[in-house]
Amino acid sequence: MLKTVLKIEDGDAEEVGAGETAAVLASPAETAADCRSRAGVYRLLSGVFVEEPTGEFIEALRTPAVLAELAEAGLRFDADFLTTPQDMLLEALAIEYTTQFAASGGFPPVESVRLTGRYKQQPNFDTMQTYKRLGFVLQPGRFEVFADQLGIELMFVAELLERGATALEQGDAVTHRRLEKEIKRFWTQHLGRWVRGYSRLIERTAEHSFYREMARFLGGFAAEEIEAMSLRIEDTDQARLEVPKDEIRVEFNPNEPVCNGCMTDALSTTLSAPDNVRRLEEMRGLNKLHDLRDPG
Amino acid sequence: MEMPKVTRRTFLKVSATTGAAAAAAPRLLNAMETELGGKDFGPVSGVERKAIPINCHVCNIQDGAIAYVENDRVVKLEGNPEHVSTRGRLCAKGNAGMWYSYDPDRILFPLKRVGARGEGKWKRITWDEALTELAGKLNAALKEDPNTIMLKYGRNRSGGVIDRFMNTLGSATVVNHTSVCESSKKIGMEPTWGPDIETPDFANAKYVLNFGSNILEAAYFHNPLSQRVTEGRIDNQMKIVTFDVRLSNTAGFSDEWVPVHPGTDGAVALAMGHVILRDDLQDSDFIETWTNVTVKELKEHYKQYTPEWASKISGVPAETIERIATEFATTKPATLFTYRGPAKHLYGSYNERSCMMLPIMTGNVEKKGGYCLPRGMGWPQPSPEPGKPKKGSYLSHPTEYPLAGHKVSHLVPFWIADGKQKINVYITYQDNPVYTNPGAMAVWGKLFKDEKLIPYLVSMSPFMGEETALVDLILPDCPYLERWEPESMPNSLWPWLGIRQPVHKSLGESRENRVMMRDIIWKLDPDGKRGMKQFWNFKDGEDYMRQHFDNVPGLKEAGGLNFLKKHGVWPIYGKLDPRTGKVTDKTGREIKAEYGLFKKELSAGDMAGAAVAKDGVISKNGKAIGVKRNGKNYVGFPTGNRIINVRVDKWAEYGFNPMPTFKRVPWHETMKDDELVMVTFKLNVMKQSRTAAVKWLAEIAHSNPMWIGTSTAAKLGIKTGDLVRVESRVGHLVTKAYVTEGIHPRTVAIPTGFGHWEYGRLATLRLKDKKSEASHGQDDPDLNNVWWDDKGVHPNNIIPVVADPIGGSQGWYDTVVKVTKAGPNDKYGDSQGDWEKHYAAYKETMRYAYTGDLHRKMHPEMASWAGPDSVKHKEGGGGH
Repeated sequence: MLKTVLKIEDGDAEEVGAGETAAVLASPAETAADCRSRAGVYRLLSGVFVEEPTGEFIEALRTPAVLAELAEAGLRFDADFLTTPQDMLLEALAIEYTTQFAASGGFPPVESVRLTGRYKQQPNFDTMQTYKRLGFVLQPGRFEVFADQLGIELMFVAELLERGATALEQGDAVTHRRLEKEIKRFWTQHLGRWVRGYSRLIERTAEHSFYREMARFLGGFAAEEIEAMSLRIEDTDQARLEVPKDEIRVEFNPNEPVCNGCMTDALSTTLSAPDNVRRLEEMRGLNKLHDLRDPG
Repeated sequence: MEMPKVTRRTFLKVSATTGAAAAAAPRLLNAMETELGGKDFGPVSGVERKAIPINCHVCNIQDGAIAYVENDRVVKLEGNPEHVSTRGRLCAKGNAGMWYSYDPDRILFPLKRVGARGEGKWKRITWDEALTELAGKLNAALKEDPNTIMLKYGRNRSGGVIDRFMNTLGSATVVNHTSVCESSKKIGMEPTWGPDIETPDFANAKYVLNFGSNILEAAYFHNPLSQRVTEGRIDNQMKIVTFDVRLSNTAGFSDEWVPVHPGTDGAVALAMGHVILRDDLQDSDFIETWTNVTVKELKEHYKQYTPEWASKISGVPAETIERIATEFATTKPATLFTYRGPAKHLYGSYNERSCMMLPIMTGNVEKKGGYCLPRGMGWPQPSPEPGKPKKGSYLSHPTEYPLAGHKVSHLVPFWIADGKQKINVYITYQDNPVYTNPGAMAVWGKLFKDEKLIPYLVSMSPFMGEETALVDLILPDCPYLERWEPESMPNSLWPWLGIRQPVHKSLGESRENRVMMRDIIWKLDPDGKRGMKQFWNFKDGEDYMRQHFDNVPGLKEAGGLNFLKKHGVWPIYGKLDPRTGKVTDKTGREIKAEYGLFKKELSAGDMAGAAVAKDGVISKNGKAIGVKRNGKNYVGFPTGNRIINVRVDKWAEYGFNPMPTFKRVPWHETMKDDELVMVTFKLNVMKQSRTAAVKWLAEIAHSNPMWIGTSTAAKLGIKTGDLVRVESRVGHLVTKAYVTEGIHPRTVAIPTGFGHWEYGRLATLRLKDKKSEASHGQDDPDLNNVWWDDKGVHPNNIIPVVADPIGGSQGWYDTVVKVTKAGPNDKYGDSQGDWEKHYAAYKETMRYAYTGDLHRKMHPEMASWAGPDSVKHKEGGGGH
């Protein structure tokens, strides 16, 4: 189970007094629902990058409803994902995952590698400490994973969001606010420094449309989250203010009128509209991310 | 009073002759070393870092080192001041060792090939899946013939684990890398005096002859011996003369550099011996007492090797040979050192023996400042141990090379292609012949891509080297900072035991070799019913080390493995003096080495039950334990007859000259005017194939232009930086020229360690490819500063195989080439070898084996030899 990767150590978790509450701008219920929706996207992306997808995960993703939602969010999978038989697809994705993320010459989704060029450098220890401080412990899944691996960092935020939602549902706005700050801090110190540039790299280098599109999704979602949290973070992993023209992807037929065809708009809509929040919530329920980490 | 007239000439003369007095004069002013090392602090936190002693293993010198760890991460490496050999110093390579652990191209999980071999398509699998698949292949091979399981290793410091593994499987097909290393040096030395290497006492020598060793940069044992060379040269005013085709940094540090034609060092050494014996400068007493020849026999034998004869072959003036021979013989103590220069030729074993005869005939053996035996220490193996395989393996011990005790690994691809031995499973450990061997990709690449010849190929490696990129299954091994390994290396006059210990948790799912091999055996024999599991009874690497070290006498009392974990080395001889850099005893005096090991007398206990033969050999329980000389029972030399064998009778059995001799490389004799000999060499920051991915080292040296002499280059119209085409009989390459006076005019030289096509993004500079333009760390000042675009050109594709028919060594320095300015179709980095041409070279070199048709032609002096049939069924010898 995903939750077991970042298992809550109750003994270490900070306690917040039951009576402590604070005002929130939106209604607590709406904010809680938003947290859970966001957590769903984090979990989805975590499942994509933490290790090779399982059959259950892919099966859930390839249902017509979810595919339609993902298409609406601007994800354009090719036939290699949409029509390939399940067994062959799993094999192809396992190979692509290895090539991109787990073999020499690839691009490990690990913050230390992205920012310092080497495994197990300062970000690894910093994230580990953060997890510990907030009552989490990293456990091995099917494969060993670094604390600053993309999937784990995303999973961590998902956990905090769900804690925040629970806190709100229990009327504990103080805890929610504290967790929001933790999420912002984590984005500022970690995810925000590398995932946008990294997603562009994977979008460019992926040979399978699943990872290409999920990388696009990650990049768009990261940009949206950063904006929604009003953060100003420089992405040091290839962050460029200007993209050379020859690298710009044409996302629309230039002969057609431009009408909400670009990914950013679609994502923005996806993440803000209540309908889509609900759909993402559903999607979270559909996929079996949790099973990735707990074969037993 | 008249003042003495001091000119520069007299000043230098006085300095040279009063060296000993100067050395003994009190020193009240010394360069200050404020810290001895051994501890370190975080610059930000100010907290003392955890210091873990280890033995370095970037190369194979085995320097004592300390890893400083913060947060389970190595942040710094430096020398271990408690280590008697390296005395707190660590070379550039050692300082950069942590790059191996954290390399972003490191293999962290078992990988299974899914495309064609070499296509680069992999699938990550679990250890259980990997072990199950491998066990299946091994089981099938075991059913057919255990010897169809082959293991070839490059660097093996496992302390016996590889042999244990193969013995457990019952396969004798174990092949090493030594024939591309220094095997003919070993085979030249071992039958002569026992061990495979010497320990020159440079620090106390007054005169040193250095034949073809670049000890200040690369050779065995670079760090510890270069310290002693410097001490001898600076503190003891020793003279050092270097014979080398190239002005290496060692040659540059020497008093004299004498350029020799490649492969002719042996002739020069023999001619020096001629001068010494002719002028009666030998140590007759030593020769008569401790060798198996008489002075008269030796004088008679050496008469043929005149300085004029050697001069004609080597290009060294006869008067230079005369002068240096006389200086060497009349300056005491004197020593000699060799490395690949003499040994890496068709008849390298002869060259090595000719060189080592000089300290032997002058009686400089085992004396202070002389030519000493190596000092090492052993350790017991965990019990029980598997027995040796019942059936021999051709690839391990080819019948055509019975004296090559260190094997002939570089001919293995041809023998497999010829069907000499079938292979079902090929396992490789810390090896990369596709890069490091002659023929490189053209030979080994072709072998490994042929799934009929090698049906299943497994690599135990932390990195995707040129070989690993071609395998079917990769098992992720640990780099050296994550391994347990026992160590002892005779790299100074003081013997020691040491360990490598993990300084942090291994990354990802990598497993150290002994654990990996245990897991394979356990998979094959889960319940122990096959009798394999009993030999692999240990919990982890540390447990295995306890079985090695907890009962070593002396060490046991000091604490066994716990002592080694704390200090890294045992014994601790003394304290490092910051003023002198030497290890001193409690009174502050430098610790003294023990000399004259062969003159140790056997005790009464040793002699109890021993028998003394007519020739003085003392035997006990069927084994020679010493030799009687001048009425005393000495331990002698570790040879079969306990003395030095100037005449190696076993060689004569196979039609080789048993006495010191020289054979010129035949194709060097017939070189045309426009032909040159191409040699290779190593720089101080590069080892064989595993340093180009280390940023700190690659930044220092990443390009390898070909050295060419000024006069030769002028004739060819070549200037520094020009592209040149280098053609041998098996291929061609295109590289840049570096024109220099520092090389023999008939030689060109290309440094190795460059021009990788695998081994990660830094070695290949793929991080600069458009697709991967941002594949590296953005915050990292090192990786953001890969400012070079030239990764160099690897020469091995165009180097044909040559095998010394005695020692088995590759003749790295025998390649004849033509060099021209590059043509319009030549591109920098082109490197092409042809399998068919390499195969023809293999067939040619086999003709020099004792079974070949050229053997007798090359040995007219052995006309009375009865031919190969006379020894065909004898078991080979040599090596250890």
